[in-house]
Amino acid sequence: MKKYLLTLLLVAQPIFSELVLEITKGSDNPYSVALINFNGSNSAKYQVTSIVKNDLDRTGEFRILENNKLLSIPSSEEELNYSDFKLLGVDFIVMGSVAEEDISNIAATYKVFSVKTESQIRTSTVYGVPNKIRQLSHYISDGIYEEITGLQGVASTRLLYVTEERSKDRSLFKLIVADADGSNEQILLRSTEPIISPSWSPDSKQVAYVSFETGMAKVFTQYIATGKREIVLENQFQISSPSWSPNGKYLSLTMYQDGNAEIYILNLKNKNLTRLTNHYSIDTESSWSPNGSKVMFTSGRSGSPQLYEINLRKFNTVPKRVTFEGNYNAKGSYLPNGEGVIFVHRKNSSFQIALKYFNENFVRPLTNSKLDESPSISPNGNVIVYAISENGTGLLAGVTLSGARFRLPIQKGEVREPSWSGFLR
Amino acid sequence: MFNIQSKINKNLFNLFIFVFLISSCSSINVTEEVVYDGGISTVEASIREESSLDYETRAIFTNATVYFEFDKFNLNSKSLQTLKSAVAAMKDNSSIKITISGHADERGTREYNLALGQRRAESVRDYFAVNGINANRVTVKSYGEERPLSNGSDETSYAKNRRAEIN
Repeated sequence: MKKYLLTLLLVAQPIFSELVLEITKGSDNPYSVALINFNGSNSAKYQVTSIVKNDLDRTGEFRILENNKLLSIPSSEEELNYSDFKLLGVDFIVMGSVAEEDISNIAATYKVFSVKTESQIRTSTVYGVPNKIRQLSHYISDGIYEEITGLQGVASTRLLYVTEERSKDRSLFKLIVADADGSNEQILLRSTEPIISPSWSPDSKQVAYVSFETGMAKVFTQYIATGKREIVLENQFQISSPSWSPNGKYLSLTMYQDGNAEIYILNLKNKNLTRLTNHYSIDTESSWSPNGSKVMFTSGRSGSPQLYEINLRKFNTVPKRVTFEGNYNAKGSYLPNGEGVIFVHRKNSSFQIALKYFNENFVRPLTNSKLDESPSISPNGNVIVYAISENGTGLLAGVTLSGARFRLPIQKGEVREPSWSGFLR
Repeated sequence: MFNIQSKINKNLFNLFIFVFLISSCSSINVTEEVVYDGGISTVEASIREESSLDYETRAIFTNATVYFEFDKFNLNSKSLQTLKSAVAAMKDNSSIKITISGHADERGTREYNLALGQRRAESVRDYFAVNGINANRVTVKSYGEERPLSNGSDETSYAKNRRAEIN
């Protein structure tokens, strides 16, 4: 018993210290899910239950009931008494177990039951390695999410972001990749010069970013697994704001060849450049539509920063203005379904994250603090992660389209410029 | 009745996910999958060496800085005064080469601010060009909002950060 307790403490401690998840508001009409503590002979079961609960909580779409809120705790399907769950208004029941098959293998099996139909609707097994329980748990969360909502989950995806640690005479910048819940941080690049505008390749195996390490802004690409990196264009001009085309063959970027910011498309294979904009005002922050037929960008051509769209299939047409409300609309990116755009919108003196559907002629504000920046949308289109500024430091926050809000754990230093990967599972 | 679908996972290790759909009055979704972990490598950016500086000629020039309004890049009368003496110093000593770096405050997006910093530096370059300074003596770049002089989030700090530095 003593040994058992000790193991529990050792395992549980890091989870609670590294992950401070604050759900400030959830969906108005959440699914009620009874999450029964996972079974199993080893300590992993506590970790799995806790991570799955956090993942499901963060979606904002569930009300999770754990063992202490339930009338009965079945350990198998045979013991399941649906009426105990009906009384509590539970919609779905999840139960599962974790088994260490040998030293290098671990398997988790989970089942989802519908209280309405009084039947099992899913049974799944996930295989992993013991020191990656977190990833294994995220797979379970995504399976449950998928089964209940019909949408692909994003607990197993990753975030890319930049941190800055300031000391007296210099700053240390880091490009970091972490799980979607902010845990499991790993450093991709460390530099004493600024790093900005990180973004993922469509297959999520590479990242592109701007590093000032050569003395001016230059775009680099880097493989996550090997660390192999390159400057995408060797010339004397400043280059920034990289964005990968959906097919992975092109990078749109901003180059200062004429001194002024203009958007180009770079063919990554033969390094051919196609100029996309030609205007004396600022043109930057390009991003691709999901099917690759359009590029959205920020332009100062109307006298204030506004979003514009270029249709790549109608060459030489005038860019179409997308935003009209307010005098600052910038860094737009398309929703994964292509039906709208998220961007930074200035309202009075505050910068907020906003959404505009193309079939509507008004802006929907999604956040309400003072200096919200860098929105990036999850691959399932449901969650937006962005940077906020609080008490003089930057941190990451999230909002779901259903209205749930959360904060990601605070890192050392200032955190900024989050970018959401594609699906990895 | 069994309906077996298989799809190949996109990931490195060609993982397979088998989805068995059992159709009866109630259907159970059965899946099996393996956690993918591709590994991660850390890179240290090698920082270029600062070019050797000519302190004598730099001293004459004394690091001039000019300031700008929010989202603006035009030079005001005070800036013109500052730049006038800079032009004079460059005419006195034709060996001086300068770098103009443009900066922005933290408000607004980082990439737009990078472009705005560039416009500010370009405004200063244009002034030098109009006043007869050869373009090959002037290098222009922008740091956007990445190198603030003051870290505060108030108008006093913002005003200090919206600048172009000549050195």
